[in-house]
This record gives sequence, structure tokens and C-alpha cells, in this order.
Amino acid sequence: MVRGIEEVREYHEDIIESIPSTILIVNRTLEIVYANPHYYRASGKRPKDVLGKNIRKVLSQETIKRMGLDKKIRMAIGTGRPFEGGHAPGDRFGTLYFYKVRPLTDEYGDVSRAMILVEDVTELTRLEEELKESYVKLDNAYTELREADNIKSDFISAASHELRTPLTVISSYIELMEKGKIGSPEKQKEITETLADQTKHMIGLVEDMLDISRMESKRFIVEKKNISTLETVNDAAESVKTLSDLKGHIISLKIPEDLPKIVGDKKRIKDLLTNLLTNAIKCTPNGGKITVSAKDEGEYVHFIVADTGIGISKREQSKIFEKFYVGGGLSARREPGRMGLGLSIAKGIVEAHNGKIWVESSLGKGSRFHFTLPKAESSGSSM
Amino acid sequence: MVKNILVVDDDQGIQKMFKTLLESYDYRVVQAASGKEALEKYGESKPDIVIMDILMPGMDGVKTTKKLLKQDKNAKIVVVTAVGKPGLEKGCIKAGAKAFIVKPFKIDHLLETIQNVSNGVV
Repeated sequence: MVRGIEEVREYHEDIIESIPSTILIVNRTLEIVYANPHYYRASGKRPKDVLGKNIRKVLSQETIKRMGLDKKIRMAIGTGRPFEGGHAPGDRFGTLYFYKVRPLTDEYGDVSRAMILVEDVTELTRLEEELKESYVKLDNAYTELREADNIKSDFISAASHELRTPLTVISSYIELMEKGKIGSPEKQKEITETLADQTKHMIGLVEDMLDISRMESKRFIVEKKNISTLETVNDAAESVKTLSDLKGHIISLKIPEDLPKIVGDKKRIKDLLTNLLTNAIKCTPNGGKITVSAKDEGEYVHFIVADTGIGISKREQSKIFEKFYVGGGLSARREPGRMGLGLSIAKGIVEAHNGKIWVESSLGKGSRFHFTLPKAESSGSSM
Repeated sequence: MVKNILVVDDDQGIQKMFKTLLESYDYRVVQAASGKEALEKYGESKPDIVIMDILMPGMDGVKTTKKLLKQDKNAKIVVVTAVGKPGLEKGCIKAGAKAFIVKPFKIDHLLETIQNVSNGVV
């Protein structure tokens, strides 16, 4: 397509007109020899105030000083090397600028002028900030996910270890029996009992893992029936009696006879109490005192399981209800089946009943585990 | 000659099982429930072989292995552990253990390993 010179000139002018950045051209003596339309629009200045004037008189001293503009122009003209860019001071409207200084070659190949290009980078800077913020968020999310993943890996490795231990006992005894190595009926009976215990232990571990997994996916469902507080507490205390007697503890129950019934899942609430009692028994030096009390408190019954044990430090108190947390404070001997699930299951049970669970403790002064469970509506006494 | 085996494991169920198993194959068993106890019992009983658990409270099995070897550079240690972490076997052998067995194990494999280690084959 052939165009007239006029047409090409207009086309170029249109392009120059629409450039959204400031272009100034200055000569060796820092006189402005050209300013593009954008500059006049943005500064409100007229050509007669700009052209032929020294750049120091046109731009503010402050701007020139902060940008080191005069030096950069002389450098570009003197060496023929461009200044590739830097941030220019922002204006009072919060606009942010980025500028470059490029040498311009005349028709003899000499550098006698320089072009100053100033771009508005406010939006770009804002986007950059946004990007940085998103990156920080992404990084935080990644860290959280990685932590969650580590916890899961630790869980799998702990679960596998805990399951392998009873499995080893079971499989070795079975193999010994197969090899005819267990002769006497007494020994056989003893081993059968061990097999039953170890199997029960494994079932318990698997049930704990399933409970945690159900709690995580909100599929943990509890029965809601009116149940007797005293009966449930008695059942739980009975189930830990052997362990408690072994350590010479005294367990006392302070449950008022006229305490209302609670609404909940009898088996789960017994599990919850048994768990708290077992922890109390284990964390209390021989011959200690463990108390279970309950009182009527508005819409709830407030339970407390208190012990005279080693207590829990402030730092650990915030972690004990987390999954897979195994405290350092328990007896030096590692308890079999300690996967750090007990208290997170206890918390899950209480929360499934819309109750709350918390702990009060200090090192050496025992622990008091509190929890609340909803009271049955217009119920009779617990008896 | 009856051989002495020191079993180091913090789990009582495992301890009892090892005692029944090894005694039914005519070994004499000495038990230790921790690394610290293992160091004491080793000096007293001078066992021919040590069966070493890894995950124990206090001093773990790798550390105990190193300390036992310092006490007696000819100590023959077989690690028997429920931890299946990659790299652990290498770590145990590097620490000076002669063999590495993962729980649960086949009795024949355990006995064969004990034989080989005590005869200096491994």
C-alpha cells in the first residue's frame, strides 16, 4: 500500500500523541529541545515555558537533585552509554515514576543530545505489591500444607510403629506354636491370653485412628440420649480401677445425687472420662489423689477431673489437644499405644456434644481437666 | 555352649515374647528396658549377642549401639526395630550394628541372623 508523505507524518504524530509517558530531549547544555504532548498535558505547562529552557528551570530542583538527572544526562552524552533506569520521586498525588536516559546520535554520528523517558508506574507498582502479597500468602499456605503433610507423615510412621509392635508379638507367638515350641498347657494358656490382649490393643489403636479420621472429615456422630451422670462416671472409674490400684491412687467421686441427667452418647462419654482418668493416673506419682466432680451449671453439667500429679507446663497446655502430640512430661517409660491421639479424641467427643474442654495446670501442682456437656431438658435427677 | 543374648526393648510385650522365643531355642536371655540399662547389663552379663530396639525413651538404639561399641569394640549387635524409615538400616550399620531386622520378622530369619552374627559370618 502506498501512502502520501502527509499521511505517514499524521500517522506518526498520532502515535507520538498517544504515548502515555513523558519524553524530553535535552542538548549538551541541558536545554530542552523537545517535549512530547503527554508532558504538556501532565505538567500543564506550555511549549514557551519549556522549549529552549534549561531543564533545571523547568523541573523542580528537588526532582533533579533526587534523580541526579543532570549528572545522568551529561554521562549519557559524554560516554554514549544509556542510564537504564531508576525510580523517580513520586508526586503529591501518589503517582510513582520510573525513568531512563538514553543518548541520541545526530546525523554526523555524534552524541549531542539525550532523551529522558519518564513512565508512570503507579499501577505497575501496585500490581507488583499485590503480587508480592499473593506470594507471601502462597508461601504461608505452602508452609501450612507442608506442616500438615509432615504431621500426617509422622502419624503414618507412628501408627505403623505402634501397630507393628503388637503384630510382632502376635505373629511370633503364632509361629512358635506352629513350630510346636510351646509345650505346656499353662504356657499355651498364658500365650493365648497375651494374644488376646495384644489383639485388643491393636483394635483400640485402629479405633482411635478411625475416630480421628471421622472427626477430621466431620463424620463423627454421637448418640444423643438422656443418661445418668453418676452412673457414667462410676462406670469409667470402675474401668480404671486396676490401673489406679496398681499405683496406689485414691479416686474420689464428688457427684451430687440430685444432679440432672445429661444428653449424650454413653459409650463416648465413658471413653472420654476413662481417657482423662487414665492420663491422671499415669501422670500422678504413686499414692496420689484423683477427684472427679460435676456440678449443674445453667444449660450444662460442668465436670472436673483433678489430679495431684506432675502438672503440665503453660507451653504444653496449648499443644496437648493437638493430634499426635506426645507430651514429654509423662513417665519416662514410653507407654505402648501412645500416638498422641487420646486428648484430641477427648476434645472431639466433647465438641460433638457441643461442649467445651480445657485444662488448668502448673508444673508440680497437678492438673484439672474441665469439660461441659449439655443437660437433659427438664430431666429428673441423675439417679 | 549356651549363648547369652541381651534383649534391649522398652516394650514389655516384646520383651516377654523374645524371652519365650529365644529360650525355646536354648538361648539364655538378659533383659534391658532402656539404653542406659543395656549399658549396665552388658557389663554384668557379657552377652554373646545384643538384640537392640531403636525407638526407646531416653537414649535411642543407635546411640546405645555406639556407646556399647565404645565399651566393647567386639560387641555383636543385631537391630530389631518396628521403624521402617528409609536410611535407618544404613545408619545402624554405620553405627556398628552387624545386622538389621524389621518387626514383625520370621523366626527362622531371626535365628539365622543370630547364628551368622555370632559365628562372625556377618
